[in-house]
Amino acid sequence: MALPFRSIAVPAGPRAALVALIVPILAMGCARAATGVAVTLVPADADAPARVRVTGLSPDGLRALPDQAADPAAWEAVLRVTVAGTPDGQPAVAGRYAVDGAALEFRPAFPFDPGRAYDARVDPAALPGASAGASAGGAIVRAALSLPAPAATPATTVTRVYPSGDEWPENLLRLYVEFSGPMSRAGGFDHVRLLDEDGRAVVDPFLPLDVDLWNSDYTRFTLFLDPGRVKTGILPNEQMGRPLQAGRTYTIEVATSWPDALGRPLAAPYRRTVRVVAADDQPVTPADWRIEPPAAGTRDALVVRFPAALDHGLLQRAVAVERAGAADRLPGTIAIDPGEAVWRFIPDAPWTASAYDLVVYAILEDPSGNRVGRKFEVDRFDEVDRAPTPERTTLAFRVSPPA
Amino acid sequence: MRTAPALAAVLGLVAAAATATAIVSARTEPAPRGLDPLAVPSHVGPTFQSIGPLAFSPEGVLYAADKQAAAIHALDLTAAASPAPGTKGIDGIDQQIAAMLGTAASDLAITDLAVHPKTRNTYLSVMRGQGPSAQSALLRVDGAGTLSLVALDAVTFTSVSLPNPPAVDGRNRTSAITDMAYMNGRLFVAGLSNEEFSSKLWSVPYPFRQMDTGTSVEIFHGNHGRLETNSPVYSFVPTTVDGKPSLIAGYTCTPLVRFPVDDLRPGAKVMGKTIAELGNRSRPIDMILYRKDGREFLLIANTTRGVMKLDTSTFDGAGAITAPVTAETGGVPFEPVPSMTGVEQLDLLDATHTVVLSRTGAALNLQAVILP
Repeated sequence: MALPFRSIAVPAGPRAALVALIVPILAMGCARAATGVAVTLVPADADAPARVRVTGLSPDGLRALPDQAADPAAWEAVLRVTVAGTPDGQPAVAGRYAVDGAALEFRPAFPFDPGRAYDARVDPAALPGASAGASAGGAIVRAALSLPAPAATPATTVTRVYPSGDEWPENLLRLYVEFSGPMSRAGGFDHVRLLDEDGRAVVDPFLPLDVDLWNSDYTRFTLFLDPGRVKTGILPNEQMGRPLQAGRTYTIEVATSWPDALGRPLAAPYRRTVRVVAADDQPVTPADWRIEPPAAGTRDALVVRFPAALDHGLLQRAVAVERAGAADRLPGTIAIDPGEAVWRFIPDAPWTASAYDLVVYAILEDPSGNRVGRKFEVDRFDEVDRAPTPERTTLAFRVSPPA
Repeated sequence: MRTAPALAAVLGLVAAAATATAIVSARTEPAPRGLDPLAVPSHVGPTFQSIGPLAFSPEGVLYAADKQAAAIHALDLTAAASPAPGTKGIDGIDQQIAAMLGTAASDLAITDLAVHPKTRNTYLSVMRGQGPSAQSALLRVDGAGTLSLVALDAVTFTSVSLPNPPAVDGRNRTSAITDMAYMNGRLFVAGLSNEEFSSKLWSVPYPFRQMDTGTSVEIFHGNHGRLETNSPVYSFVPTTVDGKPSLIAGYTCTPLVRFPVDDLRPGAKVMGKTIAELGNRSRPIDMILYRKDGREFLLIANTTRGVMKLDTSTFDGAGAITAPVTAETGGVPFEPVPSMTGVEQLDLLDATHTVVLSRTGAALNLQAVILP
């Protein structure tokens, strides 16, 4: 069905005559001028996104229109769709026209935005063979069109900020802010603050990146603390110090002003207080991990405990399980306990009594950017360190029958 | 984006007021790829999950990065050429783009700008909309100041995928490709991800070939004496330093680092030589090389420290910065360009002009500016 809208029909002619001759006619949810020209916003269906459909035009005139790629202006003269309020001289909405018998359709290059107002202007006199103001239908028809607006009630919230533990290292490099639904493109720099014990905002704690560090569904944003301040011995660090100081407590605050994908504010602010502890400047060392193998014949979780928190994002893809001697990852589900120091793996199929490998990829980092075998801040690498980093290391474990 | 400076003719910088056409139509046949059995087959109508940054080869192949798909598409724009060479500036270009794409300027992101090295038309990559439903658009501005939407469904292209780090299941990782540049038959790509902070530089030969996924190197900038640090490269240009093909790379906060291309071997860790510190809490946006008065210059647009001009002859024999820089800046000299303000994108237009996207108050303007 067609969507409701209002319209006016304006005969072509001297401007002074227009106002007096405005004849609004609404019929069947479409705008119909006295000449029989009707404009309809056809909602999206299985075939196409929402498009503008004009009926009542001269089929001969439509057939006589030139190739639209060669002469798009000829088509735009007949049907011009604009964002409402677009000033004269600005472009019309780009799209393609299609003729279906006596109907002319405009399909926008990009779907119309829900809730946005568009204007359609139809000039039957611009069709080939029609003379301006003649009986071929000289009335210009204007229609205001819009798709229903999305719900405006705020609904999206911050579900968690990683690291999720109560203590953060002084040299924390990276935060993830996770949301309950998709967000807009806007970054977090204007909406996230770190407050000290007295409620004072830490000045410039984050790297002012304007590249887009959202995950693919826009539910997780990465904030880097300014590495120039985190790294010791370089100028920003010496001038401003680290943004977080060991021994103090800070509150991370996410304001509701951060717009979600529908442009709505968040439903609630997010606040969490953490203690900051000494810097972690040691490489990630898988040999220090504790593996708790499950029993054969079960789908119990393999549990791996780390001495300190690791990066939540990387734990989901840089640690895996393989059957010893097999190259494929064992299919299963990864779960990470709050605090990011316990990693669990539940296989899709029961464990068998055999040897397995826990595979750790070199990209794994802790929240301070220390990687497997390589801390974040290092002296110039010597000749030994010039070799490419091994892509992966393995920790062997055995699954045995239940005792 | 940047291309190596090339000869430029007198360009169509004079024309009527900005007008708009709906869609550039480009009907092309797959380009012949010779007899190379490993040649990547070309197709028509690339689909983008996201678009930008952009880079041109000297022949006019447009490389357009799709970070969501972790791919780069090489577009043949021959058939999409405008009859009006050059680029005429458009004030309030974001408003015009929004009108053409049927949305509001606040729902657009212009992700990059690149000038076609032969036609001198300017191409803009744009994300329309917000969140995961945002869509990609490529637009062109010609010498008549006409803004056009490039009909991607008619463009011939080849594609190559970025190498995935191990064990990627694609759920969370985003590769933000920060810059690309073509040099001597290879496309160089710099980027960072939201999960792995260390900087990678990747290169692949063009024409793209099957079985060649490119080479990846880990790069560091050495500075301040004892430290080497990993940090994302934001912008780089290929040039020659000390007689060797090199990349000059700008990092956040803002060391300028030189890497000899010959050192960039697969799997290697390469430490660059820091030749300048251009000031903290800033990052380079774009770099271009140009010649003026018989000398070559590097022009750098920065986020908070404006536009800077460096004479590249000072890079030859420049010492590495090996001691803490106690002043705001250090290393090879640079000259601020105070006449260029609010620059958000920059590329070389011709021998005497650069084209910039610059913000003045609320207005985002595309302008041709005389090279300083």
